[in-house]
Amino acid sequence: MLEVERLTTRYGSISALRSVSISVGAGEVIGIIGSNGAGKTTLLNTVAGLLKPAGGRVELDGSDVTGWTPDRMLQAGVALVPEHRRIFTDLTVAENLRIGGVTVPTRERSSLLDEMVELFPVLGARHQTSAGYLSGGEAQQLAIARALMSKPRLLMMDEPSLGLAPVLVEVVFDLLATLRDRGRTLLVVEQNATRMLEVADRAYVLRSGEVVASGTGPELAASENLFDTFVGGRDSSSNGQGAQA
Amino acid sequence: MFPDRRRDLLFPTAGSVGLFAVLVGGALIYAAVLGGSAERLITAMFIDAIMVIGIQIYIGNTGVLSFGHIGFGAVAGYVFAIFAIDPERKARWIADAPAGLDQVQVSPIVATLIAVAVTLVVAVVVGIGLARSGAKSGAVAATVITLALLFVTHEVAINWTQLTGGNRAPLSFGIGDTLDSMLPILAVLLVAIVAARLFAQSRAGRLAKAAREDNLAARAMGVDPQVQQMAALLLSVAVVAVAASLRVYEIGNITPRFFFFEYTLLTLVMLIVGGRNSVTGAVVGVVVITAARELTRRLATEGYELFGLSLDAAAVDWIFREGLPTIGLGLAMLGFMIFRPNGLMNDWELDEWLARRWLRPQEPGRPTLGPIADGAAHSRARLEADGLTVDFGGFRALGSAGIVANVGEIVGLIGPNGAGKTTLVNVLTGIVAPTAGRVLVDSDDLTGEPSHEIARRGLVRTFQNLRLFSALSVRDNVEAAYLIAEAHRDGRSRPSIDELIAVAGLWDHRHRRADELDYGNSRRLELARAAAAAPTFLLLDEPTSGMSDAESLAMVEQVRTMAETIGAGVVVIDHDLNFITGICDRIYCLDRGAVIASGTPDEIHADPTVQAAYLGTAAPA
Amino acid sequence: MTELVQNIADGLGRGSIYALLALGVAVVFGVMHLLNFAHGELITVSGYAAYWAFITGWSWYLIAPLVVVVAIATSIAIEQVAFRWVRNAPDFTLLLTSFGVHFLIEAAFFMYVSAAVRSFDRPDWITKTFDVGGINFEVFDVVVIAVTLVTLGLTTLLLQRTMFGLSLRAAAEDFDTARLMGVRSDRVIRGAFALSGALAGIAAIFWLMRAGQTTPGAGLTPMLKGVLAALIGGLGSLRGAVMGGFALGLAEVLLRSRLPDSIAGLTDGVVFALIALLFIFRPQGFVTVAHAERV
Repeated sequence: MLEVERLTTRYGSISALRSVSISVGAGEVIGIIGSNGAGKTTLLNTVAGLLKPAGGRVELDGSDVTGWTPDRMLQAGVALVPEHRRIFTDLTVAENLRIGGVTVPTRERSSLLDEMVELFPVLGARHQTSAGYLSGGEAQQLAIARALMSKPRLLMMDEPSLGLAPVLVEVVFDLLATLRDRGRTLLVVEQNATRMLEVADRAYVLRSGEVVASGTGPELAASENLFDTFVGGRDSSSNGQGAQA
Repeated sequence: MFPDRRRDLLFPTAGSVGLFAVLVGGALIYAAVLGGSAERLITAMFIDAIMVIGIQIYIGNTGVLSFGHIGFGAVAGYVFAIFAIDPERKARWIADAPAGLDQVQVSPIVATLIAVAVTLVVAVVVGIGLARSGAKSGAVAATVITLALLFVTHEVAINWTQLTGGNRAPLSFGIGDTLDSMLPILAVLLVAIVAARLFAQSRAGRLAKAAREDNLAARAMGVDPQVQQMAALLLSVAVVAVAASLRVYEIGNITPRFFFFEYTLLTLVMLIVGGRNSVTGAVVGVVVITAARELTRRLATEGYELFGLSLDAAAVDWIFREGLPTIGLGLAMLGFMIFRPNGLMNDWELDEWLARRWLRPQEPGRPTLGPIADGAAHSRARLEADGLTVDFGGFRALGSAGIVANVGEIVGLIGPNGAGKTTLVNVLTGIVAPTAGRVLVDSDDLTGEPSHEIARRGLVRTFQNLRLFSALSVRDNVEAAYLIAEAHRDGRSRPSIDELIAVAGLWDHRHRRADELDYGNSRRLELARAAAAAPTFLLLDEPTSGMSDAESLAMVEQVRTMAETIGAGVVVIDHDLNFITGICDRIYCLDRGAVIASGTPDEIHADPTVQAAYLGTAAPA
Repeated sequence: MTELVQNIADGLGRGSIYALLALGVAVVFGVMHLLNFAHGELITVSGYAAYWAFITGWSWYLIAPLVVVVAIATSIAIEQVAFRWVRNAPDFTLLLTSFGVHFLIEAAFFMYVSAAVRSFDRPDWITKTFDVGGINFEVFDVVVIAVTLVTLGLTTLLLQRTMFGLSLRAAAEDFDTARLMGVRSDRVIRGAFALSGALAGIAAIFWLMRAGQTTPGAGLTPMLKGVLAALIGGLGSLRGAVMGGFALGLAEVLLRSRLPDSIAGLTDGVVFALIALLFIFRPQGFVTVAHAERV
């Protein structure tokens, strides 16, 4: 479904992404793991259209969508749950959901709202509450539901478990599993590599803006020097192309 | 007060004479081109120049947009008029003025001095307000206060007719009582230019400019900008007050409209077009806008035959009418704000440029002075933080975290995203106050002190998102930190600005603007600037963020060398374990706000809790 | 006592107009961080439209909606021509751009229309009063307050119940995330200016009715009142802007009735001074939420 080829993004003089290539097939759950500063957020933001790449291509089902604005990407079926969730605390839960569906025709929106409440019961209970009063876990659910409101074919998530207590981390990963079982295509950036590799079909390891390893979930999880690849241990080479797991 | 006599005293004074010559030269050209009516225009230009220079002293050095300086002008103008006009005249306008002011008359010079004094009192009050509001909210609040000043003075001028005559009976000098010689104006102009340049080059001016570029970073280096900003305000208001007095004296009367919106627009456009960050800019702006304005005025009122060119009357009539100058000013403001916000001169100063060409110091060798050489006490200093807890609403960012570092060591802070590393550094450096716990450097308790105070007492940091003083040169960046440290750190000898720049490998770039550097050099500059603040401990927040592996390795050397050069201990946060293990003597690993492991790089690397923190733990069975 | 009630009614009447102006200023500030010094020019332009309609023979029943339409169109035009280019600029630039636009429009009217005062007739019921329990009320005040309340009600409906209003509120809180949701920045900003124009238009109707004339410089005072009222309430808050408007109106009337006659003209000056003091002690206004700086 999604092909990213040699994507490069810069912030001023920093190269945050250096020639990154990944692919996501329909129905797959793809993990992007790596420690902070590796470029994971930049990758998702570039695909979603918030950042303009300096080089490379993004293709969706064969069509070139490189550099498309966020609203066009949403129409094309790509939604992003941003890092730190960024829910609208001035709006209620229901309003957050509705704004998530701003690109969807009005008549479909209310049935979508019902679907979200079914998937996330806690949001139904807090429908009219101001989103600023939600707990971390509830906020994460809201953020995901909000993204789902745009009826995406590809759902991208940036560190959904960030800042959540361990119990809630479980809830998040269970949710990912549920979405996977329902046939959703997911591209998830996560710091919690171990759990991500349990849920993912395939994953890529990013470090310093480059892909240093890739493989199926179980392959990477079983690799011995995952930690070194992840953080750049003493033994791994320093020109970016680390060993395949 | 002046860090470098030749660069900051001699050259600016000489350069000021040069700028003065530019203004006078411009005036002579106008006189030649325009003939008879030139004198009025030229006099007005000189007075406008003094006014704009006064405004530049404030806006240029603090970066705060002030709409109120013409309001200060109103105060000064009226005080001057009240004291300088003879009682007989005043009896016609303000017969029942309070405090018998209608009976008073002093010489114009004394009247000017009184005007300056009164206006300065108002400036102090406004300055206090600006300081208070600036600290709490941003640029808009400060600008609004200045706007309120402009309106208050206008309203008072219109309505307090007992004192001002209002709109119906404006205060006027008698014919023949007004200023008739250009000499005082020229003298004041020269003094104003010199004063503006000297202030900008002085310690106060340099620190104000650093804070203008990045307030947070300046405070992290130990600068408390409020003092310098007040100084800039007072000097600028004094100059404006003199300009206003001259203006009233030269024109011969004063009405409330004189010092209100229109004059504010004119002076601000002159400053913006020329370039608000330099005195050269102010001067250039005045010359350019005066010429443009005069040209459009003539086209609008006198005719379509200029320089022998004759234009089609109907078409021209549509454009060239009264009101055109204001349209011109408005368009100039818009145009420059959209396309060239820094004006024509873009921070360029004549004497700085000359100084760079003339004064060419040799690249210094590596400083021989090491930390061991002096102050045994300093070389054994110890940073100790314990029990640090930070709660943001319901979220516990740090829970009883603590670290220890000694001078001579390099200590690392690692942990996954959101672990609390930056929060810890923010607490150590006073950006965030802890809910519990203490931060000590030897016996000095720094807990809860504001960040500029902590920097002055020895803890200096760099930022994850680069925060350089962008418009300042590399050297000026380093110098700002150096100057502050001079006053607040103990008198032990330390490397000079040039030596630090050389150690950082930035010698060849020392005069380049900080925002022109590439990323690696920018990081090195940040390091050098922090080092110049003479810290006991350097706290580096992700110094290799955004760097490739090769660049990170180079940074290892940089940090080590710099730390040795200034004799400081180092605490460094980073995610790049290559970098961290390559440079650190000891490492602390944080996760979820708590220290979960500490030890040598080898120990940490092999520690399963550290691996679990980074990779996450498996699902419960 | 009766005087107090009359003053309050009077103050609320003025305050209504200020509230509408302030709300217009706050709406634009919310999405663009731009303090619109050209807001008052919407009244100037509408004033000239009203004058033209008046000499053409229109009645106030037609002039009123014309005023609103002209205000909306002008507001959108200003955004398209001037403010569109400085969308993400720093505050310094935004403030000066808006300052420049104010002068441009004022001067354009001076040049191309007329510097002279253009008068038109006020509707006859302006001066009518009525009596309730011994207290004298102006019909005008009652009408203004009523229309303002209805307008505020409709605006609230717009903001709370429509997708446009939702987009506006979301963009005002977090513009980038709103874009991520698919909100089109062009549309939401243009919409904000249109709404701001509509509010200014309604305020203009009553401002012009009361003034009975217009000049190129007519926009300065209403702009000032709107900006100051919005600031009192705190620039981030729409509710605060409305409250600030009413507070300003009340303060003006009550101060004027208390100050000795000789310096009654200083009312405005005193109000400005008080506002400046407000900013010294509470720069964030009364209602805003501050947004912390990220290190």
